[in-house]
Amino acid sequence: MGSFNAIFTAIFNVVLAPFGHGFPWFDLVLWPLLGGILALLVIKAVSNQAGITRAKNFIQVHLLEIVLFRDDLRVVLPATAKALAYNVMYLGYNIVPMLVMIVPMTAILVQLVSHYAQAPLPVGETVLIVAKLDGEVQGVAVRDVTLELPAGLSLDAPPVRSADGEIAWRVRLDAPGDFVLKLHAGSVTEEKSLAVGGEARKVSVLRTKSWEALLYPAEPVPAADSPIESISILDRDDQPLRGLPDGEGGVLAWFFGVSLLAGFLLKDLFGVTL
Amino acid sequence: MAPSPRLRPSFAFALAVLLSPSLAHAYIGPGAGFAFAGSLAVMLAAFALAIGTILLWPFTFLIRMIRVGNPYKNALARRVIVVGLDGMDPGITTRFLREGRLPNLQKLAENGVFRALDTSNPSMSPVAWSSFATGVDPSRHGIYDFLTRDPCTYAPILSSTDIKNAERVLNIGKYIIPLEKPKIKLLQKSVAFWKTLGEKHIPSIIQRVPITFPPVPFRGLLLSGMCVPDLRGSQGTFSFFSTANAEGKAAFTGGEQTVLRRKGNIIRSRIVGPDNGMVKDGGRMTLPFTLTVTSKAGEPGTVKIELDGGESFDLGLRVYSDWVHLNFNGGPGINVSGIAKFYLISADPEVSLYMTPIHIDPESPAMPISHPEVYAVYLAKRFGPYATLGLAEDTWALNERVIDEGAFFDQAMAFCDEREKMLFDAIEHTREGLVTTVFDTTDRVQHMFYRYLDPTHPANRDKESTAYADAIERVYTRMDGVIGKVLETVGEDAVVMVMSDHGFTNFRRGVNLNTWLRNEGYLTLKDGKTLSGDWFEDVDWSRTQAFSLGLTGLFINRKGREKSGIVPEGEPYKALVRELCAKLDALVDEETNTRAVRKAVAAFECFDGPYRLDAPDILVGYEGGYRSSWGCATGSVTPTVFEDNTKSWSGDHCVDPSIVPGVFFCNRKIKLDKPHIMDIPYSILSLFGHAPPKHMQGRMLFAGNADSAEVGGALDPRSLPQSGSAPGARIFPLGQAPESGDA
Repeated sequence: MGSFNAIFTAIFNVVLAPFGHGFPWFDLVLWPLLGGILALLVIKAVSNQAGITRAKNFIQVHLLEIVLFRDDLRVVLPATAKALAYNVMYLGYNIVPMLVMIVPMTAILVQLVSHYAQAPLPVGETVLIVAKLDGEVQGVAVRDVTLELPAGLSLDAPPVRSADGEIAWRVRLDAPGDFVLKLHAGSVTEEKSLAVGGEARKVSVLRTKSWEALLYPAEPVPAADSPIESISILDRDDQPLRGLPDGEGGVLAWFFGVSLLAGFLLKDLFGVTL
Repeated sequence: MAPSPRLRPSFAFALAVLLSPSLAHAYIGPGAGFAFAGSLAVMLAAFALAIGTILLWPFTFLIRMIRVGNPYKNALARRVIVVGLDGMDPGITTRFLREGRLPNLQKLAENGVFRALDTSNPSMSPVAWSSFATGVDPSRHGIYDFLTRDPCTYAPILSSTDIKNAERVLNIGKYIIPLEKPKIKLLQKSVAFWKTLGEKHIPSIIQRVPITFPPVPFRGLLLSGMCVPDLRGSQGTFSFFSTANAEGKAAFTGGEQTVLRRKGNIIRSRIVGPDNGMVKDGGRMTLPFTLTVTSKAGEPGTVKIELDGGESFDLGLRVYSDWVHLNFNGGPGINVSGIAKFYLISADPEVSLYMTPIHIDPESPAMPISHPEVYAVYLAKRFGPYATLGLAEDTWALNERVIDEGAFFDQAMAFCDEREKMLFDAIEHTREGLVTTVFDTTDRVQHMFYRYLDPTHPANRDKESTAYADAIERVYTRMDGVIGKVLETVGEDAVVMVMSDHGFTNFRRGVNLNTWLRNEGYLTLKDGKTLSGDWFEDVDWSRTQAFSLGLTGLFINRKGREKSGIVPEGEPYKALVRELCAKLDALVDEETNTRAVRKAVAAFECFDGPYRLDAPDILVGYEGGYRSSWGCATGSVTPTVFEDNTKSWSGDHCVDPSIVPGVFFCNRKIKLDKPHIMDIPYSILSLFGHAPPKHMQGRMLFAGNADSAEVGGALDPRSLPQSGSAPGARIFPLGQAPESGDA
């Protein structure tokens, strides 16, 4: 997981570098566009194009049958059932390309999310830093976990420690900067980045050992024997790029829509049946 | 805790992907998105259509009951199937019946009836099928031939359809943007009987009945037939590509040659498509292609054809390609789609390639070829591309010897297969109502293979005359198989009729009536001219009393009707017509010492309908063996009145209608011994329990509840009035006992 993230992060740090974060919309158009083209190439290469064409054709046949023979229920009902059956067949033909595309598409999207889904937190606000202990690693209790803040950040309230292994700190963001929080758990120290103020840049809101690390590749995964399972930043307001409806959801929807549009517009050029 | 809990479900793709595709769609993006978006649309559409139909059905049923009650209340039959076999001849049919080659038609005759079917005058498809559609004679539906003349110019015009470009256009630079659709109008008058049925809420599916282009909206489905143009707007223009004629001098009737230049194994050329009417001086749209000879010397020829921006396919020697989509691009947003089949005639040493006329693509029709328009699309989606051109079988390509008999026959049978699928789809979807499907194969094959029935036919000179001696028989037996399947599919309750619009006879000698009129002093050429090219090129109209155009029509140059008319109306006109009729009846072919005309009929004596003035003034009923010559049909004046017909088009029916009745089979007995084609629509309306409209001229063939039908069984071939020159006549000479068995 860590290696996977490291490789893709390294690649995207390079490919996104020329445009930086000064032109976020360029990245947000380019990558879905490339995603759409990649999808077309994958579909062309691994899908049963003849089967898809046949299934689509029969779907159209039976929809037209419903329209043309609408006065005869003995035609309409079987035609409806057949249209839906061919619809299932059509979905079936798309499973293979769907599986093939999971990895590259996820990598692209995750990188876009990490770069553009959240803006740095605003100066003067407070956020909740939550650490969760790994129940599998023994020897560290919630009372043993402390948070070391750099200059520019301060505690707004005493930490809250729960019996199920979570510790929460409310932190005030006093000054702009790219800060590193240090969490001490026994002899282990884990770090968490926190971006405050300034221009849009890559922001990480979760550092975790779990599978979710695949979706938050900006920071390294904690070691397997670390008593800290995850460190997250909550109570933040997503500050998406202007025009996107939401943070992560916005990037996701945008990617989905643009790549879909690109695919439909370019399918004939690539000779692909969708 | 994890960040942003409300978003976490959408981020849970990795584990959820296989279990919950709907979540995965969002994250996998386009791949699944394409499928998801399409599937969702399909599901919504299917459910909306189905639910809408189910919910609306009680209301539509109620409205129907209020308006017309039970449409089948007085019906003698709830389902009628009409299979039209264009040109099926009663004499030839009887011969094959007696030889046991048509077992299904035999069964139909034994259980029901087989009779000759009197046809229209003139006895040709556009006229006869119009009488079938409307139940009236030509003077009421206005169709007398394929062609008529424009009285203002004497130029030929199509009788059935008027196509005009859009008048309201927007000129932007070199582009012409139409602001309205082109005006396409069916010139056939009266009302088709399926429209009447529709008004009574009896559904119909009408397939390929001639003279149904453009389709007239009605409550039912219709696929247009004869007179649907090709994509170029003609009635069928084939293409012949060849390296053989370096000078490109070849000129064909009904086709065009493109000279190919070969560089090694590669040939670049282009397919000529429709006019680019959206660009000023746009000429014709073209589609470039590359032909690569892939076979080596001595091997059976194979080529690969790659259309620029389109399909590519391999083609073997003497086999047809599947339908190939030809997409013509005339500029930004100007795309027209057609379909054609390719046939490799030779690949070595010369490359010769035949391409059928470019048919309108039924999946994306450039013109309305069905009602509703999506019906053509539905058939294409269901069965694949199919021939849409009215005269689909390319008779001109064989007539001009671009293709041989084998290629023509294969083409005709392939189109027949397409039609058969459509017929059974219509039957499957019509549990109550009318299905009518017309097969043209019988007509086209008899036109082109009749010479094989007559060993002394002039068209046999310099041509092979044995290999396809069974072509007509094969088509008849093929159609018998279709009828067998129909009878098996529909069961006993449905009324099944098999009919043809006319029969067939020999076409050995052509008669140029324009030359005869010149000889007799009724047609005068310009000073110094003794002959005239096509379309009356050198005719002096100011001194011409009569002229002939088309296959049976002779027109008087009437004052006040024709632009340069000189014959006054009234008695002078009638006297001239009678004089010409008498002379035509006496016209003898001196080479054979045979009368060429059985009966010339004055239109004013046989027509009384509202469109009688549009008729040719004289309808020339030729004897069997004779027909209007090729030159006469196109308005030329040739050196001799009579000439041998040496073309492959060796059988015809444009003769006296009494010589070429059609056939009528039905699985019910009838009341009349001599049914007429106009009786069929009349009877169908009556079978469904609805009184035919007063204007219809037919009679009820079937017995009602109060009377009985006694006419049944097979036709007595001795009743057929075939002329002496027709093979059918030699088989069953008039008045003589048949060679074997009882009639």
